[in-house]
Amino acid sequence: MGVPAFFRWLSRKYSSIIVHCLEERSKECNGVRIPIDTSKPNPNEVEFDNLYLDMNGIIHPCTHPEDKAAPKNEDEMMVAIFEYIDRLINIVRPRRVLYMAIDGVAPRAKMNQQRSRRFRASKEGVELVEEKQRMREEVIQRGGYLPADEIKERFDSNCITPGTEFMDNLAKCLRYYVADRLSNDPGWRNITVILSDASVPGEGEHKIMDYIRRQRAQPNHDPNTHHCLCGADADLIMLGLATHEPNFTIIREEFKPNKPRPCALCGQVGHEIKECQGMPREKQGEHDQFADSLPASEQEFIFIRLCVLREYLERELTMASLPFPFDFERSVDDWVFMCFFVGNDFLPHLPSLEIREGAIDRLVNIYKDVVHKTEGYLTENGFVNLERVELIMQAVGVAEDNIFKKRKEDEEGFKRRMKEKKKRMKAEQRPSFMPSGQFSPHALGGRDRPQAIQNARHAAFDMRMQGRDQQNKDAAQSLKAMIRNGNGNQSHAGPSDALDGRGTKRKADDSDSEPEPEDNVRLWEEGWKQRYYKNKFDVDVSDETFRRKVVKSYVEGLCWVLRYYYQGCASWKWYFPFHYAPFASDFKGLKELFTEFEVDTKPFKPLEQLMGVFPAASGNFLPETWRTLMSDPDSSIIDFYPDDFALDLNGKKYAWQGVALLPFVDERRLRAALEAVYPDLSPEEVKRNSLGSDLLFVGKSHPLCDFIQELYTTGSTESTEMPPELCHGIGGTFNLDEEPILPDKPVQSPVPLLRDIAQNIAIGIKFKDPQFQDGFVFKAVILPEAKMPSKVLKPGDWEKSSRGSWRPQLGFNPNRQQAHLDQSAFRTLGHSMNRDRQRGGQYSNAPPPGNYHQGNYRPPHGGHMQPYQNPRQQQGSLLGAHVPFQPQQYPRQQYGNQGWNRAMQSQASAYQQNQQRGRGGQGNYQHHQGSRHDDDQGHQRGHSAGRSYPLPPPARRYNWN
Amino acid sequence: MRFVSEMAEAEKAEDVVSEFLGQNPHLAQWVESLRGHCETNKQWGARREFILRNMEGYPTIQPGHPSPSLDRLLSLSMVWANHIFLGCLYPQPVMDKITAMAEGLEVHEAPVRKTRDEIMGRGKRSSLSEREDDVSQKRPKAGGAGRPPKPGPPPQAAAEHQPFFNRLYKTVAWRLVSAGGFGPNLDHFDILRACVEGAKASLSCAFVPLRDIPDLPAGRAQRDGQVCELRCLSVYLGTGYGRDDAAARAMASKEALKTFQGRKVTVRVCRRRFRGSDVEDLVLLDEQTRGAGLPPALSYPFQSEPAS
Repeated sequence: MGVPAFFRWLSRKYSSIIVHCLEERSKECNGVRIPIDTSKPNPNEVEFDNLYLDMNGIIHPCTHPEDKAAPKNEDEMMVAIFEYIDRLINIVRPRRVLYMAIDGVAPRAKMNQQRSRRFRASKEGVELVEEKQRMREEVIQRGGYLPADEIKERFDSNCITPGTEFMDNLAKCLRYYVADRLSNDPGWRNITVILSDASVPGEGEHKIMDYIRRQRAQPNHDPNTHHCLCGADADLIMLGLATHEPNFTIIREEFKPNKPRPCALCGQVGHEIKECQGMPREKQGEHDQFADSLPASEQEFIFIRLCVLREYLERELTMASLPFPFDFERSVDDWVFMCFFVGNDFLPHLPSLEIREGAIDRLVNIYKDVVHKTEGYLTENGFVNLERVELIMQAVGVAEDNIFKKRKEDEEGFKRRMKEKKKRMKAEQRPSFMPSGQFSPHALGGRDRPQAIQNARHAAFDMRMQGRDQQNKDAAQSLKAMIRNGNGNQSHAGPSDALDGRGTKRKADDSDSEPEPEDNVRLWEEGWKQRYYKNKFDVDVSDETFRRKVVKSYVEGLCWVLRYYYQGCASWKWYFPFHYAPFASDFKGLKELFTEFEVDTKPFKPLEQLMGVFPAASGNFLPETWRTLMSDPDSSIIDFYPDDFALDLNGKKYAWQGVALLPFVDERRLRAALEAVYPDLSPEEVKRNSLGSDLLFVGKSHPLCDFIQELYTTGSTESTEMPPELCHGIGGTFNLDEEPILPDKPVQSPVPLLRDIAQNIAIGIKFKDPQFQDGFVFKAVILPEAKMPSKVLKPGDWEKSSRGSWRPQLGFNPNRQQAHLDQSAFRTLGHSMNRDRQRGGQYSNAPPPGNYHQGNYRPPHGGHMQPYQNPRQQQGSLLGAHVPFQPQQYPRQQYGNQGWNRAMQSQASAYQQNQQRGRGGQGNYQHHQGSRHDDDQGHQRGHSAGRSYPLPPPARRYNWN
Repeated sequence: MRFVSEMAEAEKAEDVVSEFLGQNPHLAQWVESLRGHCETNKQWGARREFILRNMEGYPTIQPGHPSPSLDRLLSLSMVWANHIFLGCLYPQPVMDKITAMAEGLEVHEAPVRKTRDEIMGRGKRSSLSEREDDVSQKRPKAGGAGRPPKPGPPPQAAAEHQPFFNRLYKTVAWRLVSAGGFGPNLDHFDILRACVEGAKASLSCAFVPLRDIPDLPAGRAQRDGQVCELRCLSVYLGTGYGRDDAAARAMASKEALKTFQGRKVTVRVCRRRFRGSDVEDLVLLDEQTRGAGLPPALSYPFQSEPAS
């Protein structure tokens, strides 16, 4: 959902859900890049079976990145996308399935938001170009230097919408990419790739959900398969919870606030386009060797462990002494439902529920009361019990008045505090004497201790002189001040009094209070409801019918959204036809408001949807005659395409937070108008406008390959059931592809930068998710054979049980070995690296994620790593003093059954060493340790040439190289 | 404000529409089917009037049958409603079209919205010089650009012009009597022009597009159309608003003639707004009005003319 605050709130409140990703970097040797072998165990000490990519979260940053220069042309964009996927594969290393889903045509309910985004993006793009032009002229006039403006077409990010040529090209490129990796990358050897491109209707993440839901509902599904979903949207968390799969992890880029962005004009960081001076570029490093690397430019990734979130939620939602048995799974569904009130892509959020004000906690508290009262849950399998929802809404409604008042108070308080702070900052002066060197103040716990004083005598002299100078200056200043004031008898001429005489006059008064956007709704004042309806809907509060209509639509919306998350799209047509939400207190008599959605609705065709979401300025993505409909005064749909539109800041500060008052699309008129221009489509456009199918790819060594090849040789035209035993219990149906990728048939590269695949061993076929009867209800339950992952959070009764001190789990592996350095190691380190190197900055105390703890996966310098590793490899003997494993912990490790290496066992053929490990069974730690040791060596073989390690046993893993 | 006094006439529009529909019950049912699901009564009422008024322009529309021409009319009605109620702006040709179609239609208390461009500080012609350039380019009559206005009319000017306007008053009175009295069905501009010319003077008209006028009170529905200001011997007579120049001029003449309905007319020096500042202006008033609440001036003859 488009609620950035939601993720922030979640990760602060439930901090243990986040695990930093460890990423193995590829090394360069004599200028040749050594590819990473992703068939090796995952450095994150967990094995994932399935990786799902919500591709739009990848396409956007790759095509118009915010923190680096944009790619020059479409080919570079494609390569950037490929590299991004490679990077994700390297981190996640899926063993069974890679599912790539690009947003297809979305349900009508999403269209309002899409329209709003695209209309804005179009205007923003034009503004940026204008601003650039203006600033460029200005800078050049002032004699500044700017790099030549590359003549490139402005990339209109609106082309990332299903049905455009760009998306069609992207689908082709991804097919090539998949074929290439399946043929050449060892990590892909055994995985099944499903590509759902923009021609398949549905939003990317919902196509993924649909796939998971349907796989779960078919009998061959493996209930313990481990999912990893990539994407930054907060609603992925909801979706993941809604699956009720026990092992579900989300991977996303770590959000770092205030990242420096390069200036759009000169490409340098440190200033915005408005302040561009056109200064020559500063050299980065002594010989400009860091020219292309922004400081910490590469985004780190984080995992979000939903099983940990479930643990948190279980603690929070569990209700004692219920009149019926407590079912945690049902309460999770209710929690997901309540999060929709706070914000989702399809409905505006209720005015009284603001996530920053703890709206979800408030709802949870109310919820617990209500469940007691109503003796039941709010939702079941994605269907809403409206009577119970009404009770919740009424409880929120009662508090509404106070919420608004409190909001205003908080706002005022915040403003006051900021003002006071500013004042304080202004008034504050530096201490008159600040010791330097060894005695300078340092942050507590700081790592970088100041250097010891070399020449004590000299340092003492310096400090004395400095202090005296300062005193002299102060004295001189106060003297001056006295003279100026003509006030000789001032008795205490201390430095503090000298302040006023020190130069600049104070400004008249705080002129810094920014002009506030006027708010005529004033929710905190009596009569707010009336004003809200008048201002936002232009109706009187007495217009009961209209208000009822809004509430009805909103209730329908809640039902639709929940159904969308749990059962799939209930109606492609439904949408919320207002720009604002009603008040919680208006939710009365909900039961009769909603019956059922219209059945058998069809999604728009891609080009139709483009007509629905694009502004006239993006008309160049459409055929000629279609485009005219967007601008011709005689067009019968001209009202969909305003040039400019009103923006209601709605109490917010920035334009992008406001509500865009765009007119809604009349579906009937749209279809009628398009009927006349349909004959103008070229055959190519007709193809782009048609609905496509998911594609499934496997490599030659996959058991499915022969089966599919057989289908192609027989040339059967009807759809064939996929044999689930060949592919980890995944079900579905196959249909022959018209232009298939076949083994031993070369694949042409659609990107000139990349070579054709001469020796292709991949095969592709059309894939369809398992189908169920109409009216089938997907159950939102934990599957019977599912094993729940071990708990991560500290048990509430830990102290009582006297089991020693609690060791929090940092990664996926509960028994992660921590690297320790003893003193000699530190000496060696200090010898080869400057120990006092400045790692200043706000976060210098926190260890950088994935730099130290994983030990050998990312060695800093090839030559000096030995002391680093040796302690670890011989941990048993060297670190006898701090053995980190308490003996009583052993029985709790269920190593053989679950945890990070379970998945590997099932991939028996590829990971032979895991069989040895598996035989170790529970608690056999020493054995395991040994195999880890081997592992490390094997791993290093690639890049530690010249070191005297015993050779690993031959042909252990990559015998097929 | 006087020049939007059209509004008063539109107040009865609602009654007219319901009366019309009462006489054509078959239309009533059909037109109700065109209502959008989420339209408020107010919005629908206005749009319904827009549709009914413009039906004539689309003779191929057959009530009860969907047709492309009906869709075109519906689309334009939505353009107009979106413009009035949501604050959308459309390309100029479209705007011109709906302004013409919506002539005579008035909406009360249309919401005031800020467009995105206005919020972003773009497109809005906010700086004074920019706007003046614009106006003077289009309308050379609107006065010189960029010069600070001189102190104002010479002090004796009011007294000097008074005799002329006394004469004009009589001419107008007779003229109106011969035309059958002051009423809505006259060609007001023609009468005024004839009278002024009969008094050996000439009328000067200044036209400015409505959206270029600062200082307008909030709450007005229109954004487009022309405003006309009439002067005679540099004395202000009246301002009017209309869809185009002719309509604006007619309305201004009507306002001017209203001044002549009193028992006498006087030339006074009054303070008015002009391009965002207060200036002294010569104004023709009847004995009741005090010169307060004058619409902002569109032209200002009492400043040094530029060389061109």
